[in-house]
Amino acid sequence: MSERIKEIVLISASPKVEKEEPLSAYLASLEERRFKSDEFHVSNVNVRQCVMKNQTEEAFRTMLATDAMIITFPLYFFCLPGLLMRFLQDYDQYRVRQGNVTKNARVFAVVNCGFPEPEINEDAVRVIKSFSRRIGAEFRFGVLIGGGGMILGAKDAPFMKKVMEQITDAFDLMREDVLGNGETPLGNRYVSVRFPRKLYFFMGNYGWMSMARQNGLQKKDLYLKPYRDRN
Amino acid sequence: MKACIISDGEYQTETFQNLNRTIAGYFAEKGFETVKMQVEIGDLAFCKGCFNCWVKKPGECVIGDDISRINRTAMNSDVVLLLCPVVFGQFSANMKSVVDRWLPNMLPFFKTRPDGSTMHPPRYDDYPKQIMIGFADDLSAEDMVLFSDITKKHRTNVDVLFWMDSESDTRRELDAIRLERAGGQL
Repeated sequence: MSERIKEIVLISASPKVEKEEPLSAYLASLEERRFKSDEFHVSNVNVRQCVMKNQTEEAFRTMLATDAMIITFPLYFFCLPGLLMRFLQDYDQYRVRQGNVTKNARVFAVVNCGFPEPEINEDAVRVIKSFSRRIGAEFRFGVLIGGGGMILGAKDAPFMKKVMEQITDAFDLMREDVLGNGETPLGNRYVSVRFPRKLYFFMGNYGWMSMARQNGLQKKDLYLKPYRDRN
Repeated sequence: MKACIISDGEYQTETFQNLNRTIAGYFAEKGFETVKMQVEIGDLAFCKGCFNCWVKKPGECVIGDDISRINRTAMNSDVVLLLCPVVFGQFSANMKSVVDRWLPNMLPFFKTRPDGSTMHPPRYDDYPKQIMIGFADDLSAEDMVLFSDITKKHRTNVDVLFWMDSESDTRRELDAIRLERAGGQL
């Protein structure tokens, strides 16, 4: 007898409005590729579009019925961005209005940050775990990615091969977990770009100055203190 | 001495009212001039991670809403209090927008802290004392630890308290904090 097709929701929550695809959206597209098979039906939720267009209800209905959700987002001040908090807070209220619905969905978190150390994402993963408890879902594990500022630009470079493999391996583990009985305890996956820290800092700091120059600023302008009346 | 008290209009619960009354009374008795700011849904745009507050208009958010008034008032206060509904162990959505959009008050550069982790250096020579007071009607021990970790593990000059429905406890905890600006680190 064939198993029922599993419903998966990929929730991508980058607040960025740039023309270029943000890292969280790219990661969600990788997730989709790993889940694309006859065993799954995959739905995509772009949190920014849902919230800004006030069209969250369809996403909430999908989330209420899903077998698993993967929440992918950038780290903002060591936890979830305000945009994602608005979405999850509203989802929880919607769920309560629908009769305090709980469905034992499995939840995964994929968090990326610009700092090189992936461990800095740990508290954000704990927030997703707390959210899972609140909605009666089962948190499984997080994928914590450091050095996020480099990934999109360098993803095809030879030195990034292992990093990209680690990411896709983690997504494959999610897929196996959703298909399995979910009884195996799984720890978080840590992914860091193998790149000299000093050089990463140098490139990052150079990048800020370069962007400022493109905006007609000088280096000293970066240090302005406009909000302080006397300083 | 000036105190800036920021709260979330979405959580006007009895718990919040008790906390708010206690804080307002405490700072009035201490002789502080207080400015209260309440953030409602839709008052503040979400930080969109454009970094223009670092590379286009350094130190100022380029989104034209109320955040510049909030940041300016906060940066010119001696104490800033965030009365934070704790949701899933972190700041509620409205309060998180206030926190996210504190970004202009830091410099863009990367720096290593004494513990080896990365940080953005401070923009200003000194900052108001920042006090986060978490509250919720059903605050779990796990969420309290998480809220405290999110706030304190990564910053100096920040104190975290929880409103446990006891005016005397909160007053005693505030008495133990130096209510004045502090220099240096974020």
